[in-house]
Amino acid sequence: MGAMVTIDPELCIGSGDCERLAPDAFELREDLGVSVPRPAAATTDVELLVRAAVGCPTQAIRVLGPDGELLHAGNTT
Amino acid sequence: MTLLSSFPATIELTRYEDIRAALFHPDLSRTFDTRTYEDGNIRDGIVSIQHGAVHRARRRVENTQFRADHLRLYERELFPAVMNDLLDRLLVGPEVDLFSIGEVLACVLASRRAGLDIHEDDLDELAVIAEFVDVFSQGAAILDAKDPDAVRALVYAAYERFERNYVGPARERRQALLDAHARGEIGREALTHDILTALLAHRADPALELADERRIVREVATYLQGGTHTTGQTICNAVDLLFEAAAERPDLLERAASDRSFAQRAVHETLRLRPTTPKIRRRAVAELTIAGQTISRDSLVVLDVTAGNRDPELFGAHPDAFDPDRSVAPDVPRWGLSFGAGPHICPGRTVAGGLPAPDGDPDDEHLYGLVAPFLQEVIRRGVEPLPGRGERDTRTERFNRWAHFWVRVGSPRAAASAR
Repeated sequence: MGAMVTIDPELCIGSGDCERLAPDAFELREDLGVSVPRPAAATTDVELLVRAAVGCPTQAIRVLGPDGELLHAGNTT
Repeated sequence: MTLLSSFPATIELTRYEDIRAALFHPDLSRTFDTRTYEDGNIRDGIVSIQHGAVHRARRRVENTQFRADHLRLYERELFPAVMNDLLDRLLVGPEVDLFSIGEVLACVLASRRAGLDIHEDDLDELAVIAEFVDVFSQGAAILDAKDPDAVRALVYAAYERFERNYVGPARERRQALLDAHARGEIGREALTHDILTALLAHRADPALELADERRIVREVATYLQGGTHTTGQTICNAVDLLFEAAAERPDLLERAASDRSFAQRAVHETLRLRPTTPKIRRRAVAELTIAGQTISRDSLVVLDVTAGNRDPELFGAHPDAFDPDRSVAPDVPRWGLSFGAGPHICPGRTVAGGLPAPDGDPDDEHLYGLVAPFLQEVIRRGVEPLPGRGERDTRTERFNRWAHFWVRVGSPRAAASAR
């Protein structure tokens, strides 16, 4: 089992930074104006996911490691 | 007297990580109190000073204009043609003002993105747009203005002309297209793609708070100004710093002219050393703690970006030096905090500076930003700064703003170095 990624749609402002950094793991949805995780996020390098989460302008990305440990919560609840 | 002088407490942060934490903090707002700022606020309701839900809703709509595929088109197709045409026409004569050339060049692209229909080959009209940008830039920096009342009057008058001559006609045309699209008469491809169109398409959404027509005018003005001013300032700062460093290391000019990755790192280093906004202000909307320091509600929090960008923990033992080859950690932008961070990070950062420059060779998807190729081209054309001929903007307390930057064209030394 890989990492688990969620994006809080209330916080996301659709900057697209996560998609630029990890295009396999994140998709910027033009119709929604926000990013969503792709299925391949589960197999993406965890360090890259955390970098994307740390760089998110609104801290909308939460990353849990393969063991369920919280690696980055940002402003998500 | 500047506007921000009556806060109960002022906290200044100078360390990079503390400033970054402050920029991400949800209880530090760009909205200031009514006595000093919002009363007669020339920037009322614009995205830059919104906070919370309205800001997020607005950015979701406006960020669509800064997607990588849009920017690639600008950078690879539109910009080179516009740049070469304008430099052919403007970079002539023994001495020219590089700042005004940079602003005019940026005006063409920023007008397109903002949603103005201008005659792009008409230098007189571009000069008019550049004058608007100058006024709106004074408005954007009103917290540092030496005479805020004069700036306020100037900006109000400019808004009226800007709406009458530019935003009004542009809005009419775009609304007609949107209406035709809604009736199924035209496809999406026939719509304009710019900030104004995006705002008109979504203005019925109450979350955007755009019912007031004047807010749309101010929002368009914000994107015109933001898309122009940084480019104009940064090209002058890059030439200034690069030639100063080249006095001891002449190879730098040749490298900048021939290697776009190096030129981009030179631009990022320029932005780090000379941020367009040297000090960012926030207001505490609740008591909070940063770097172990309790900040009481309503405090003014001053974020010293110039100091943070020279933090030796992140930028090495000689952070004051202009060194495009410096090594930084992968999660630290080479431009430091010059585009801000957090929710209010500059939406146009990739337009001006491109994507973060990797240490190795960038891939095919990489974006270099508009200033790097501009810098390369002015070096190739033999531009050389005239010592002591840069003039600072004395209307503001911001120490690093150029009003003019005079250069010599066709300098044999610069051209030889570039060859």
